[in-house]
Amino acid sequence: MWKHLLLILILFCSFITSVEARVYLDINAPTFIQIPIVLPKWKAIEKTPPNLSTKVYEILANDFILSGFFRVIDHTKLPLPLREKEGIPDPLVLSEWASSGGEILAAGEVYLDPNGLQVKLKFHLVDLVEQKHLIGKQYEGYLQNLRPLIHRIADEVVLQLTGERGVHNTKLAYVVRQGVGKEIFIADFDGASIQQITQNQSINISPAWSPDGKKITFTSYLRRNPDLYLIDLNGRNLQRFSFQPGLNASPSWSPDGRRIAIMMSRDGKSEIGLIDASGANPKPLTKGPGNESSPRWSPDGQWIVFSSDRSGSPQIYVMASDGSNVRRLTYEGNYNVSPSWSPKGDRIAFCGRAGGQYHIFTIEVDGSGLRKLTFNAGHHESPCWSPDGRYIAFSSTRTGSPKVFIMNANGFNQRPLTSSKGGESSPAWSMRFE
Amino acid sequence: MTKKSFIILILVTFCLGLFLTGCPKKTVVKEGPSAATKKEEAARLEAERAKEREAREREARERSKAEIEKSLVAKKTPGIEGTVYESSLLKDIHFDFDKYDIRPGDATILKANAEVIKNYSNLKIQIEGHCDERGTEEYNLALGERRASSTKKYLTSLGITVDRVSTISYGEERPFDTGHNEEAWAKNRRAHFIITSK
Repeated sequence: MWKHLLLILILFCSFITSVEARVYLDINAPTFIQIPIVLPKWKAIEKTPPNLSTKVYEILANDFILSGFFRVIDHTKLPLPLREKEGIPDPLVLSEWASSGGEILAAGEVYLDPNGLQVKLKFHLVDLVEQKHLIGKQYEGYLQNLRPLIHRIADEVVLQLTGERGVHNTKLAYVVRQGVGKEIFIADFDGASIQQITQNQSINISPAWSPDGKKITFTSYLRRNPDLYLIDLNGRNLQRFSFQPGLNASPSWSPDGRRIAIMMSRDGKSEIGLIDASGANPKPLTKGPGNESSPRWSPDGQWIVFSSDRSGSPQIYVMASDGSNVRRLTYEGNYNVSPSWSPKGDRIAFCGRAGGQYHIFTIEVDGSGLRKLTFNAGHHESPCWSPDGRYIAFSSTRTGSPKVFIMNANGFNQRPLTSSKGGESSPAWSMRFE
Repeated sequence: MTKKSFIILILVTFCLGLFLTGCPKKTVVKEGPSAATKKEEAARLEAERAKEREAREREARERSKAEIEKSLVAKKTPGIEGTVYESSLLKDIHFDFDKYDIRPGDATILKANAEVIKNYSNLKIQIEGHCDERGTEEYNLALGERRASSTKKYLTSLGITVDRVSTISYGEERPFDTGHNEEAWAKNRRAHFIITSK
């Protein structure tokens, strides 16, 4: 199993170490120019059906586009002699790719075992400017795991060119309105493999991934109270585990997985509190006149960011995870809610009202460097970060009914997660699956 | 003369006797028994009136109870446990955008609702706090919580006991009007009353 899931990795080239140091794209810069990457046709080896190589090609090309780091030059955009070339180019005639317009070339071959069960993907990455071979790798696995295999290639290319692995093998959980109810769904980063997790017609909201990525925590009204539940990704083993009278909402797991920060009701108000991972020992952390919402842990487990109207209007606050050292972060505008702490620790994304519309902003943890990331008409809510901190998912009504969108953390490359007709909200990003 | 004087003397004595004995006797007989009866009568009347009033009130309660019974509509919601009841006599109140205080006009509605709840002492109610779709789901859960609890606070200030009223926040999850405009939003920012047991 280990062999097939984690794949065999064969390094073809010995000069990798010499080029690894070069970072082609500093994606932490506020703006960056996308790397033009050439994708020649993939080759189907021996009796591998050509439609399989086409499928691999399309999934990989889409991954490159979705990453936001690349300007993809697919084979249809190449001049004629290059357009028809398949597979890995001859290292001796790399110069012929100069006319492609790309700086990087990613090429590959696919081989399907005669039994039709196992697939081998071989790919090479070439620097066309320096005329240098960067890496060559081969991945093997079951055909049913084809998509994760391809996403690994994309992740590897992102690592080679940006210095950090991509997040193509991640999933997003989100809420979909169905009639008067709301159900929890999950989808891959590229919008594929959409799966409905709950199917109970109730109000199921605020999904959060369990630390091991095997379960979703969410709030449901199944028992006529907003209680917290856990459910397996296949929709089985529904378990109610926090059911104080009133709110058990907006769960956020501590990085060590031992506690969950939630919204809980005290004296007719919503407070931020902690429960154990089992749901036991509820303990409010906030008190006083404010109404609090949306607690989220800092990646180091020391702090909790949340929204509170204690100053008269909802603003973003940070407190230590024992409730001490509360400080206010936002002062601009009179409606700042739904914070989310970047996994890198440096910025906090939130939803703020500006000009009658709701937009996504980020701010540094010391309250400086406010940035507005969405500018489209419509409302943009509930931001959450990818595990590498390079993307933000959020909901947007720009196309009518709210849909989950993804953008680079600098606000570039905004695109809908899936092609569904909408009614989506509250995205939550998983960790990397491998 | 002597005979005449004698007769006058007798008459005077008689009159004097009459005066000395008869007059006090007369006042005791006439006034004593009449005061006692008046008091008794007043008390009796008062008791009767109280009885009548009580009967009237009881009748009103019975009538209102019957009226409430008649107004109850059982409600089952898919995906949410249990059967509850709604009554057309328990009217919704509404809120300003992003606010949870009771508006003066809505206070009148709450007073009427409180009367209904008082008249039917078995009734247990749940106040649902609702919001319009603007703002995030989680913020609206917190806001709905406040709307439900400020409504509960008002009802208990009118003498409804705390244990008869529970609250729940639905945030923006159950709009009354699914429109996306000011008119729909105004209808959706509400506290709604359901009857959890009767």
